[in-house]
Amino acid sequence: MKQRKSNRPTAASIKRWTRRLMARMQSVLAANPQADADNVRHTLILLEQPPLERLQKSLIRGRHTTICRK
Amino acid sequence: MAATLPFAENEIRLLTALLRARVRFMVVGLSAATLQGAPVVTQDVDLWFEKLGDLKISRALQTVGAAYVPPSAINPPMLAGAGAELFDIVLRMDGLGTFAKELKNCIEISLGGQKLKLLSLERVLASKIAANRAKDRLTIPVLRDALATTSAINSPNAKKRPKKKRIGSTN
Repeated sequence: MKQRKSNRPTAASIKRWTRRLMARMQSVLAANPQADADNVRHTLILLEQPPLERLQKSLIRGRHTTICRK
Repeated sequence: MAATLPFAENEIRLLTALLRARVRFMVVGLSAATLQGAPVVTQDVDLWFEKLGDLKISRALQTVGAAYVPPSAINPPMLAGAGAELFDIVLRMDGLGTFAKELKNCIEISLGGQKLKLLSLERVLASKIAANRAKDRLTIPVLRDALATTSAINSPNAKKRPKKKRIGSTN
């Protein structure tokens, strides 16, 4: 029987992704030493997502922040 | 129960109706920044229209059950009706040139088969610096770092990575 390939990330793929992300972060920080590492990391992660997904997350968090402040 | 997404079918329908009617507008502010990858939060989507009184706006909005509410003594200009809740109309952009001038450097993203125009991250940052309100000052360092990041990875000197499906990517 043909087995379906799982799309779930493996430990190895997560490790590779993390290593790649850290390398890109270090290269951005090397060129921009004044930049905040967290801002750079979050931007790099968001750039991997489609634009509308980024907006959804921003709006969900923005609304949640408002609710928490009330 | 799954939560309703804030930017859903009605909101996309409203924007695509405006785009199909060839209304000249662009998304500005933090929603434009977040669409370009800046890790900031926002509560609404600001739209900058070239001609706010343009009849094309009202006609396009009518087709999706929304309407343009002109300004009066008690209310600023606004959109109302289906899918309009999320959108704010921007009348003035601090620190920027005219709509036509800014449009030349805007960024385009795909939306319902149309091209949605966004004020570039660099210009969003310029407008926040010029506006200099307390809430703008909080976002300026984040926007600056996001711009440095996007510029660094888009620069011709940036290392080309092999095309691989990445975690979190739906494209």
